[in-house]
Amino acid sequence: MKNPFEEFRGQSTRSKGKELPLDRILKAKEETLNQILKGYENLLKNEAKDLVWLMQYSTVIKAYSIAEEAIKGINYAAEDVEEFCYVLDKTDQVPYLITGPAGVYISALCNNAQEEEIVLRLQDVGIKINLLGYRLPEGKRLIIEGNVGDFTGISLEGGELIIEGSAKNYTGAGMKKGRIIVKQNVGFNTGHGMTGGEILVGGRIKGLGKVVGGKIYEKGQLIFPSDDYRPYYF
Amino acid sequence: MVLRNGYQERVRRIYRFISENFYLNRPDLEVKGEKYNSALLFGILTALYGGKELIIGEPGLGKTTSAEYISCLIYGIPLGVIWGSEVSGHPEQTEEKIVGRPDLGALNQGKEVVVWSNFVQLPVKIVDEINRLPETKQSMILDGVDRGNWEYLNEMIINDEYALFATANYQDRGTNTIIAPLVDRFDVMVESRHPGPNLAFYIGRRSRFDNPLRHQEFEERYHKLLRSQIPYKEKLQGLEELSEVFRDYLKEKVGIESLSKEERFSIRKEMAQMPLDLDANAFLRMVLAELSFCHRYGQKRSVEGCPEGCHYTGYLCYHVKNCASNRLPISVIGYSQALAWFLEDDEVDLEHVRTVLPFTLAHRIQWRDSYISKKEGEGRNDPLQIYLAKEATEEIFHRYTEQRDYLLDALAIASRAFEGEAVEPLDGDHPIYEEIKKEIASLR
Amino acid sequence: MRKVWPKVRRNHLFPQIPPPQLVESDEEVALEIKSKQMTINVNYLQVLTEKMNPEDALQALLDHGISHYMYCPWDFNTHLMLYSEAKKVLRDKRLAQKAASYFMDVVANTYCVKERETKIPELYRHLPKEGIQRILALLYQVIWGIDLGAQGEEESIKRLSRIPYLEKRLWKESIKKFAKTLEEFLQKEMESEQKSSKKAQNPLGEHSIENYTLEEIDKGLRDFASSVDDITEFRETVEDLKDELAAMGYTVGGMGRGAGNPIDADLLYYMKLAENYTLPIKKLPMEKSGALHPHSHSPWEVGKPVQDIDPWTSFGKIMPGLTQTWVRREGEVFGEMEKIPDCLIIIDSSGSMTNPRERLSYAVLGAACACNAYLKNGKKVAVYNFSDAFRGNKLILDFCKEKESIYWAICRYFGGGTAIDLNDVMYLLKQAEKPDIFIITDMQITNLEKLIDFFNSIENRVTAVHIGENIYATRFREGLKQKNNVSLFLVKDKEDIPKIVLGKVREYFTSPF
Repeated sequence: MKNPFEEFRGQSTRSKGKELPLDRILKAKEETLNQILKGYENLLKNEAKDLVWLMQYSTVIKAYSIAEEAIKGINYAAEDVEEFCYVLDKTDQVPYLITGPAGVYISALCNNAQEEEIVLRLQDVGIKINLLGYRLPEGKRLIIEGNVGDFTGISLEGGELIIEGSAKNYTGAGMKKGRIIVKQNVGFNTGHGMTGGEILVGGRIKGLGKVVGGKIYEKGQLIFPSDDYRPYYF
Repeated sequence: MVLRNGYQERVRRIYRFISENFYLNRPDLEVKGEKYNSALLFGILTALYGGKELIIGEPGLGKTTSAEYISCLIYGIPLGVIWGSEVSGHPEQTEEKIVGRPDLGALNQGKEVVVWSNFVQLPVKIVDEINRLPETKQSMILDGVDRGNWEYLNEMIINDEYALFATANYQDRGTNTIIAPLVDRFDVMVESRHPGPNLAFYIGRRSRFDNPLRHQEFEERYHKLLRSQIPYKEKLQGLEELSEVFRDYLKEKVGIESLSKEERFSIRKEMAQMPLDLDANAFLRMVLAELSFCHRYGQKRSVEGCPEGCHYTGYLCYHVKNCASNRLPISVIGYSQALAWFLEDDEVDLEHVRTVLPFTLAHRIQWRDSYISKKEGEGRNDPLQIYLAKEATEEIFHRYTEQRDYLLDALAIASRAFEGEAVEPLDGDHPIYEEIKKEIASLR
Repeated sequence: MRKVWPKVRRNHLFPQIPPPQLVESDEEVALEIKSKQMTINVNYLQVLTEKMNPEDALQALLDHGISHYMYCPWDFNTHLMLYSEAKKVLRDKRLAQKAASYFMDVVANTYCVKERETKIPELYRHLPKEGIQRILALLYQVIWGIDLGAQGEEESIKRLSRIPYLEKRLWKESIKKFAKTLEEFLQKEMESEQKSSKKAQNPLGEHSIENYTLEEIDKGLRDFASSVDDITEFRETVEDLKDELAAMGYTVGGMGRGAGNPIDADLLYYMKLAENYTLPIKKLPMEKSGALHPHSHSPWEVGKPVQDIDPWTSFGKIMPGLTQTWVRREGEVFGEMEKIPDCLIIIDSSGSMTNPRERLSYAVLGAACACNAYLKNGKKVAVYNFSDAFRGNKLILDFCKEKESIYWAICRYFGGGTAIDLNDVMYLLKQAEKPDIFIITDMQITNLEKLIDFFNSIENRVTAVHIGENIYATRFREGLKQKNNVSLFLVKDKEDIPKIVLGKVREYFTSPF
C-alpha cells in the first residue's frame, strides 16, 4: 500500500522555530510553578481531608509547618509567588481552591523567599485570599496590591505588611511585633489577641477585637489604646 | 524545474491580447505580484489543462464571449467554427442536436451511419446556459466530457483532448438548478463581471464587424471537413493541418502565436510534472480534512446534521453540510500546477493553492444556513458562493500558519509510522490529526 | 524593494496584502500601515542604511509589518480585546492604547525572531532607545538573547520577561501583566508628551483603528460583542474609540455612509450581537403554474403511448432508439412577493426585567434577532416598549425600516411597573396588514386578563416568550391554550431567548401567511 505521507518522509522532527531565552525563562517558570503547585496539593492532601479545613490555631500552625516542608528545595522568586496566586484564581489548573490553606502556603512562600521585599499584584485576582502575611518575620516587607481576606497578618513576627486595598476580619490577630498598614478599610475583630506591633488603617475599621497590646490607628488617629478602647486581658 | 521553452510567454501574450481587445474587464485577482482577471485567467488555464469550467454571471457580461475567444486562440480554431459547435441550453435540446444524428439518407437505405455534431468532434466544448438544459442532458454532456467518449447508435468517437466551458445565469425564471452531483464535476467556477462603466462604454463603441478571429474561407473548410464521413482519426489530422494554416494567419494578422496540439500536450505534461512544495501539500490536506471530517459520524454526510456541542464547532466541518468529493483535490492540484506553470514558477506553493482553492470550492460546498446568514450581509466584490469560499480559505490558512511546524512534524511522524516505525502519531486539536491517526490505526 | 518583497512574502507564507509603497516623509517613523497598505519612509530608511545593509533594514521593516497582519493582532477583534484588557489595568484611554500598541510590537517582533529568519534584532540595534523604546530594547535583550546596547531597569525587565508573548490563548492575561509593569514608564512618556506638546513616535508605526478597513472593523466589533463578558465592557471600549470610528466613516447605521448619528455603544452592542443569530434571506419561492407544457425529450420505447411523439426530432421514424417523445412539465412561476408580513415587537421594560444598558438583556437580544430577520427580508418593524404604560412609561415606534430607530426603541428601559395599554397595540396593528407579533415579558403584567382577552380576539401570529415560571405565566398559558396562532415559550435559561425567537421566525417565513 502506498504511503500517503511519503513526501514528508525526509522532514526531520525539529522543534518549533528557534529556541529563544524567552522559551527557557518560561520553561523554568513553568517548572517552578509546578513544583509550587505540587507542594500545595501535598498540603491539601494532608490538611484538607474531604476538602474541609477548620480555621483553628492548631490547624494553622500545623498547615504552616507542612507548607514550609513542602517548599524546601524549590528555587523560586517573588514573581513565582504572584504567579501562583493568579493560578489559584483559575480553578481549572488548581485542583481544589481552599483559601485557608492557600493563604498559609503563600505566607510560607513569602516568608522563605530570597527577597527582602516582595510585591504581590493581586488586583486582578478574583478571590480574596485569607491568612496572607501569617508570621511575616522581621526584616521582611510584603506589599499586596489589591484586597485580601480574613486573618491577614496574624501572628506577625516583626515584618512589615502593606495592603494597598482593603482587608476583611481579624486583621493582625495575635500579632506580636511588626507593622501592618492597610490603605483602605478593615473588617471586624481587628487586632484580636494582638500583643504588640502597630496596625495603621487608612480607611474605616468596622470593629476592634479583644486587643491586648500594641497600637492601632484609624485614619491617622490612635484609637488603641485610648479612652474608648482599653487593653483586654484574657 | 519548469521547462522554459517560451510557451508561457505565448500564452501570456494570448491573455493580454484577449484582455485588451475582446474581453475587456478589470483585474480582480493578484498572484505573485501580478494582477489578472479571474474569468480570463481561469479560462486560459482550463483550456490548457483540459478542465471543466462553470462561468456564472448576469446576462450579457461576456460569459460565453470569454470562452469563445480563449478556445479560438488556444486551440487555433476560427471563431465561426467555435460558434457553430456551441450547444445552447434550452429544454428542447436532444441527444441528436448535441451528440449526433443518423444520416437520414443512409437510414432510408437501412444503414446506420452517424453524423457527429461539431460539439463532440472539436476538442473544446462550450455549453451556453447549461442550467437551462434538463438534468438528463446535463448529465449526458458531463459524462461525455469526463470520459472523452461519445456514443450514438453503437458508434463511438474518442476525444484525445477536451476542455469544457459551461455558462449559467443566476437563478431566475426558466432555469433549472444544476444538481449537486453534476455541479461537482466542474473543476472551477468563476464569475464574469461587469467591467465598469468606462470599459462598458468602450465595448459599446467597438465595431461588430471587423473581427480578426473570423475567416470565412477557413471556416468553410473546417465545416466541410467536420461534415465529411472520413474516420474521426483522419479528421483530427485534417483539423490539425487546417489549424496550422489558421495559426499562421493569426500570427500574420494579429501577431499572436496560437498553440498546436503537440504543444498543448507538451504543456500538459509539463504541468503534471510540477511538484508541490510541502506547505502547499500540507495546507491542502488540512483543507480536505476540515471539509470531510465528522467526529461523531466518521465523515460528513449531507443527510446527517452536525450536533450542537461538538468539540470541532470552530472548524469548517461544522459549517458545511456535505462532504468534499475526491474531485476537489484533483481540481485543486491540477489548476495549481497549471497556474504555477503559467507563472513560470519552479513548484506549486501555498500562494498558488490559495489562489485556486476558492474557485474550485465555491460550487462544491453546501453551507449551513447559519453560516450563510452571518456572511451574506458583509461587503464583498464576489458573488456569495465565491466569497464564502474565499473566506473559508483564509480561515483555514490562518489556522495553518499557527500550526504549520507542528503539522509538518505530524505528517513526518505519520510517514515513519506508516513504514512500520514504532512512533506514535502526534495529537492535535485539528481534524487532520484525527485523520492521520485513523490512517495509522488502519494499518496496525 | 523588488528584490526583498518577494522573499519576505515567501517567508511569511504569502500574505494577501498589497506590495508596500515607498514615500518620502520627514516624520521619524520608518513604517506605517493603513488598511493593509504598508508605507516605508525612504528618508528614515536612508538614515538606517548608514548603519546597516539597506536590504536587511527593508526586510526587517517588512517582517515587522507583515507579522502584525499575520500574527498579532491579526484582526480588529484581537486589537479591541488587547486594548480593553489594558484599560482595565491602566484606567486611562491613552495609556491603554500605548500599552496595547507596544504589546503588539513585542509579540510581532518576538514571533518573527523565533519563527522566521529575520533582521529585526539588527534593526533594533540601530533604532533610537528613548523612553519606552529603551525598556523594550532591554526586554528584547533578555528574551532574544542579543545585545542591543541598553542597560538598567532590572526589576521591571525581570517581570516583563516572564510573560508568555507567543501564547495566543494567554494574551488576555499577558497584556494586563505587561501593562501593569509598564505603567510607570507609560505615565512618564505621557507627561513628557504633555510638557513638550510632541507625541512620542514609535519608529515602527502606531497601531490604531486606521490599520483596518471598514469591513474588518465591522467584523471585529461583531466578534468583540460576542466575546465580552458584559455590555459595559463593550460600551467602554466603543465609547473610547467613538471619535476614531466616526472619522473612519463607521456609524451605527452602517459603514461608509459619511457622518451619521453619533455612535450609541449600547445599540451597537446589541446590533453586533444579534448578527451572530441570523437567518438567511428568504428566497423567492417558485410556484407551479398549473399548466403542462412540452419540456424535454426522452427516448420512445415500444409500449409507450404514441401521441406525444415528436415527429421532427424522430426524423419521421417510429423506431426504438431513434424516436423521441415529449416529456411535459408544469411550468414554474415566481410566487407571491408579499409572503412575509411586517413585525410588531412588544417588549417589557419594567423593573423586573434587565436594564439592557447595564447588563446583557436576552429579551432585548431576542427582540433584536426578530427585528433583523424581518428587516433583512425587506419588511417593516414596529416596537411597543412598555413599563407602566398608563403613566406614560411607554414608547411607540410606528412601522419603519430604520434599524437604528428600532434598536433605540427596543433598548429603552423604563424600569417602572408593568401595565400594557392595549389601545396602543391596536393602533399599531392597524398600521400594517396582520403583522406577526413577538411579545417578550416576564408576564407580571397588572392587566394580564385584558391582554389574554385581546390575544384571544386577534388572528395574527403571536409568539410570546415569557421568562421564568410564575402564576401569571400559568394563567397566560391557560387563557390562550385554545389558540393555534399563539405560541408560548417558557424560558428558564435566558440564553435560549434568541434561539427560540429565531426558530419561530424561521417557521413563520416558511409557512403560508
